[in-house]
Amino acid sequence: MENLNRNLPPQFKTIEHVDIPKSKKEILSNEIPVHIISGGSQDVVKIELIFNAGLWYQKYPLIAGICNSMLNEGTENYTASELAEKFDFYGAYISYSNSQHYASISLYTLNKYLAETLNLLEEIIKRPTFPQKELKTILSNKKQNYLVNREQASALAKEKFNSLIYGENHPYANIFEAKSFDEVKLDDVKSFYKECYTSDNCRIIVAGKINESVLNMIEDCFGAKSWNTKTSIKDVEHQFISSTDKKVFIHKKDAVQSSIRIGRPLFNKTHKDYAGIMLLNLVLGGYFGSRLMQNIREDKGYTYGINSLLLSHLKSGHFAIITEVGTDVCEAAISEIYKEIKRLREELIPEEELNLVKNFFAGEMLRSFDSPFALSESLKGNLPFGYDNSYYETFLQRIKATSSQTIMELANTYFKEEDLYEVVVGEKKA
Amino acid sequence: MIEFDKFTLDNGLKVIVHKDTTTPLAAVNILYNIGAKDEDPEQTGFAHLFEHLMFGGSVNIPNYDEPLQQVGGDNNAWTNSDVTNYYLTVPKENLETGFWLESDRMLSLAFTEKSLEVQKAVVIEEFKQHYFNHPYGDVWLHLRPLAYKKHPYQWSTIGKSLEHIENAKLQDVKDFFFHHYAPNNAVLVVAGNVETSEVKRLAEKWFGPIEKREIALRNLPIEPKQTEFRSLHLDRDVPYDAIYMAFHMGKRNDEDYFKVDLLSDILSNGQSSRIFQTLVKDKNLFSTIDAYLTGDFEPGLFVVSGKLTEGVSMETAEKSIWEVLNEVCATKASDYELQKVKNKLESSLVFSEISFLNKAMNIAQHEIINQAEDINLEVERYNKVTTEDIQEMAQKILIKENCSTLYYHAKKQ
Repeated sequence: MENLNRNLPPQFKTIEHVDIPKSKKEILSNEIPVHIISGGSQDVVKIELIFNAGLWYQKYPLIAGICNSMLNEGTENYTASELAEKFDFYGAYISYSNSQHYASISLYTLNKYLAETLNLLEEIIKRPTFPQKELKTILSNKKQNYLVNREQASALAKEKFNSLIYGENHPYANIFEAKSFDEVKLDDVKSFYKECYTSDNCRIIVAGKINESVLNMIEDCFGAKSWNTKTSIKDVEHQFISSTDKKVFIHKKDAVQSSIRIGRPLFNKTHKDYAGIMLLNLVLGGYFGSRLMQNIREDKGYTYGINSLLLSHLKSGHFAIITEVGTDVCEAAISEIYKEIKRLREELIPEEELNLVKNFFAGEMLRSFDSPFALSESLKGNLPFGYDNSYYETFLQRIKATSSQTIMELANTYFKEEDLYEVVVGEKKA
Repeated sequence: MIEFDKFTLDNGLKVIVHKDTTTPLAAVNILYNIGAKDEDPEQTGFAHLFEHLMFGGSVNIPNYDEPLQQVGGDNNAWTNSDVTNYYLTVPKENLETGFWLESDRMLSLAFTEKSLEVQKAVVIEEFKQHYFNHPYGDVWLHLRPLAYKKHPYQWSTIGKSLEHIENAKLQDVKDFFFHHYAPNNAVLVVAGNVETSEVKRLAEKWFGPIEKREIALRNLPIEPKQTEFRSLHLDRDVPYDAIYMAFHMGKRNDEDYFKVDLLSDILSNGQSSRIFQTLVKDKNLFSTIDAYLTGDFEPGLFVVSGKLTEGVSMETAEKSIWEVLNEVCATKASDYELQKVKNKLESSLVFSEISFLNKAMNIAQHEIINQAEDINLEVERYNKVTTEDIQEMAQKILIKENCSTLYYHAKKQ
């Protein structure tokens, strides 16, 4: 038996470099770009079609999302229930996502059923009929989910925070009311589809076990000729109007916890300071060992969890600290949050802590690129900015090269207390 | 087919290694055979509170998280009624750090008053966040004791009440540890880009010296057969009425489990399922509705739960669910329908095997329930199920005297 010293950690290796499998790019005959991420242990494939069809382009609330989720509610050749029946029979999944700028449809299928399910995917993307009856059901169910969700203090806090920093009419805030569900018109959904779901407004990401025949099938279904009306999307502009009101309290009767959001509008991942801000965010609240988590949860026990995040939109971005704390300790928690931010402005982050965060971040990168599907998610997030996943290889080097001094300067530039917005939703004011 | 190697250390620790070279990472997953069902009825929530304390420093390592993050690792844990599971992932080069950390907290904890006080507060906030400050969040706090009268599944993992958490003492924590946390009461699964020989060396080195412990005997009360319909009405500040129906069924490792699982899939897995097509799409009676199994190791529950569409009465909604359930009892499903849910199941198993961490957790659970080898028999066990089996299960389980229904009424404003 070796003589064990349990007090000493074993030797370890620092991750200097992350090998990110490269994606390949091909162009279909009708010029749709296809990004290919090949690999994985299972015989499965994911095909995602991404359109510039996010809520940025909608003229009325909810239209973009409803349009996206109605694609499988009936097509020229199948009813909604026939479509559901077929996808289920092949054990395939269709998922829909709708964000500020993009809407996408993903097919997850076993390779052995790709031909059948891809034909169905083609059907729902090229030939949806948007039946009135299905619209009614969808609106009624979505409205109920919306109202249930708004019972949560955290949902109210998020909505208010986003409207403060971006302006309540901006798509990045995406504010609407319950009555908006009653006002959705089928014609608006249909014309949104016609404008946005076209071959010249589309890109495709394929991930999983990919071979030549997979690509041929994609070419046959989506590439052979252009489909739907050929339009060019007009680039819509929306003004950012940040509120002059920086602190807002919303009363919520009988809440046993208060929901807190503190943060500010910032920039996106194309900015030169992004790597530094990423580190700053990690140290403050971006992982379990972060200062906020250690102080507010692990030392004081005020909360089950507290974290901070950076969100990169195509044309902007923001930073936010998010937590739910006991009503009676809300004021104390807020004061600790500001104290931690102040420390970042006034004290250099110790070398040891900074190295730990850098190492942790490198590990996170390994975890987030662990499967073809994970790689496709991150590629989807990178493409709009003109990057592919190799962005992260240089990003890791930028992270590693960032010093405590730089981070403190960034904290002084971007984390001034007077620039921060604060939203509290709860029973009583802090 | 998931391949693995398996060996047992002299102290009783079972070790399983699954090699997956498509990842640059490795997972260390330790499943302890201890859950909320092992708690004293007067001290519920303890297994979960204890899980929090496992991160409060061990006998030789004052801080669990820091050294792990230092090597690029990440971790978490979960507790349910049956087991407590701890897992971490690290770059494969740093696997030994995982062994060092996990073995030290199996050896012994730091047991500090500070950690206990803080984690009690944290768990109380968790309780509030998920059960009280969340619409419909308290359902299971009421549905469990309605369905179970004797068996410890009658309380939720979080515990019966905040008081039980508040009352926990350091001595209780120590007793709990030495009665339940031991090499001979755990399964260690290492999955990812690893070699069995190396895992064996590390397991012997770090876990080998930990002594076997006397494990508290598990002698759980048996739930008597339910013989009449039970119901409970709650009035809450929520926007819509909801209904929850719980039926007793068998345990996770019975052959019947696979039949009942497919029965629940016919009813509600996917948009083409009966419940979704009939009650959501055709009749618009529910905005969401689902049928699922709790999947407990001991005899568990078959649950149907849904939120009613505005304007639909509780009576209409309940009647409509019974119509679907009665139909599946009265008439055999078609071969096509059964094939569909089998295909769906096989597909979901294939997708679940993408993640090496997921595989590690599944292997560990199979080993605790019976044996890890069972993980490769699942498809076959599902494939054996016939339409007659499905109908038989429906007739046995989906009947009124086996049902506990919770009516969750939206308070009129």
